Amino acid sequence: MMITPEEIFDTGIPFEKKALEVFEFQRNNNPVYQRFCQALGIGEIHSASEIPLLPIQAFKEIEVLTASENSKSKTQNLEFQSSGTSGMSRSRHLVPDPEVYRQSIIRGMKHFYELDDYVIWAYTPGYIENPNSSLIWMLNALIERETSGLSRFLDLDQPIDHKELDKVQKSEKKLMLFGAAFGLLDMLEKGETKLPKDSVILETGGMKTHRREITKAALHEKLASGFGLPKSQVHSEYGMAELLSQAYSREGEWFECVPWMKVSIRNPKNPMEEVEYGEEGLIGVMDLANLYSCSFILTGDKGLQRDDGKFQVLGRWNPENLRGCNFLIDQD
Amino acid sequence: MSWLKKHIECVRQAADKWLNPENNVLQEAIRKTGDEGLFSRQDIEFQLSVLRENIQNNEIEQWVERAGLSDQKNAKDNKVLCLHAGNLPLVGFQTALGTILSGADYYGKLSRKDPYLLGSFLDGISKAGLDQHIQYTTDLSDFKGLQADKVIFAGSEESVPDVKAKVTDLNATKDEAKYIIRTAKFSIAYLEDWNESINQELVQAMLRYGGKGCRSVAVIVADFGLEEVKEELEEAIRRFWSENPQHLKPAPDVRYQYAYNEAVQRKQLWLKNFLIQESEDLPDTDFTVNWVQGGDEKVSKLKTKFGRKVQSVYTTGKEIAGIETEDLSTAQRPNLWWKPDGVDVIERLIK
Repeated sequence: MMITPEEIFDTGIPFEKKALEVFEFQRNNNPVYQRFCQALGIGEIHSASEIPLLPIQAFKEIEVLTASENSKSKTQNLEFQSSGTSGMSRSRHLVPDPEVYRQSIIRGMKHFYELDDYVIWAYTPGYIENPNSSLIWMLNALIERETSGLSRFLDLDQPIDHKELDKVQKSEKKLMLFGAAFGLLDMLEKGETKLPKDSVILETGGMKTHRREITKAALHEKLASGFGLPKSQVHSEYGMAELLSQAYSREGEWFECVPWMKVSIRNPKNPMEEVEYGEEGLIGVMDLANLYSCSFILTGDKGLQRDDGKFQVLGRWNPENLRGCNFLIDQD
Repeated sequence: MSWLKKHIECVRQAADKWLNPENNVLQEAIRKTGDEGLFSRQDIEFQLSVLRENIQNNEIEQWVERAGLSDQKNAKDNKVLCLHAGNLPLVGFQTALGTILSGADYYGKLSRKDPYLLGSFLDGISKAGLDQHIQYTTDLSDFKGLQADKVIFAGSEESVPDVKAKVTDLNATKDEAKYIIRTAKFSIAYLEDWNESINQELVQAMLRYGGKGCRSVAVIVADFGLEEVKEELEEAIRRFWSENPQHLKPAPDVRYQYAYNEAVQRKQLWLKNFLIQESEDLPDTDFTVNWVQGGDEKVSKLKTKFGRKVQSVYTTGKEIAGIETEDLSTAQRPNLWWKPDGVDVIERLIK
């Protein structure tokens, strides 16, 4: 019998067991993943660490869809696309059952925060202009479920409206402000605003633009001082169009996964192999919420992990040293 | 006799002597290299046969003339530090020979992966009576306090700061020392036609030295798709490998790429230890060649896209506007004066 979305989120079922079930479901019902496993000669699998991770660029080249006979495949017509400059090919993530994503978002946030205590503000483009952004969809879902009526997408190019801020404070709720790294810095440039002391800022990445580059530590320093909060209240989210779950960092630069998602760091020369804790490699993700696409993904991001499972994202993996004549101090 | 004439004669004689198949020192270097599994005997013999041909064709003399080396214009009294890579046999030979021909004092850091072959040449030439200093080592710290005027090395842009820092730490260069850095990684072949001879030339260009080295073809642009010639190509590759067994095997990432290609239904030729795939991406791993269907505009576009990572563009005769091309048959048989990264080493050293 096929694993259900409810079971995916059931923290009473061990991750290992669920991962193996999802693996079998996807190997049997996802033609892309099936071909991948066949070509690698994957037979019977006994532990999640033996599950092969599909390189994430597959989402740029082909429909990655797991569709069993009973699934509501494509009926919802929801499709997420990665952001990208013109001329760059974008990933396409088909989401046959948006409810799985909604549940992943809300249960995930609740795992880390007392979500019902927060008003959600998003300093990002709105949902209407960005129907294919998984991040905006997530923010929209969080805003829609919040009951005070104070949650919303903020106007871009505008500083924070103090009257609105007063309303949040009077509502006895706390504020959670989402925004891309440079979006939030731009917001501060329009006028520094001290947020209520129990607010949380959640930056959603985008550390590099064509104009600027900044380290995460420096960014968090600037955001904390600009919004008048301690650095411990500036958090980060790690997510992407190809994933329906997110990881959050509430402790400096170390990200923690939701219970139905697991990260491992893979050897770029042998992605079936996990590297030692503390060693750099490619970030591999098992996101069981990707039930109807592919849950086992090898990203193009560089990262490292410590023994409690928390991980750091160190930018894009650059493989360009691998070919050609190379004088390497350590080897030559 | 002028300095130049005497100098060329001396170098030529030393090179001839070294390349003589009966030279015991060279034979010993070949044996050690083979015994330690550094390179295949076939690749070593091939490289030596190319160098013999170069020297016999008077290419030392032609190179010197092309570079404009003279009694007046040379690099005498300059100290040149050469950091040699070791990814294929004798990959540093041309740089060492060019430096010595320029008249400069040569200080070579030989690769631990290729210490014997180039070392045997340098041993021979240092006894040839040249009026310049020739010294080599496999330990860079032996050049502590050298104060070299110039440094030549091959590396990626990312490796440059590390190398410079190490050299500076050792005080091995002068503060104002000039660096000649090679960043080319691979070559492109353009095929407008297909026949048995082109097939063989292509296979040699792709597979010799396991496809390593910047002169090896890692991108093929062809007027036709991979599928159209796949069977003939595979046959030629199998023939090549029966005479030149693949010395090194790829890491599992190449098989992973093959599986990925199967998953996304990308056209490919998978040969267990080598992969040819239809892709316009940067070829960033060894043992992988990317095939692109297109014409000469596509070649120009890719050359621009890959920038300084491209060493040479080979054709089977066709000229491509705005691009200097070489004949495909010369990919692994270059003239002695071929220009890594478009730079003639002698010309640069005497500038």
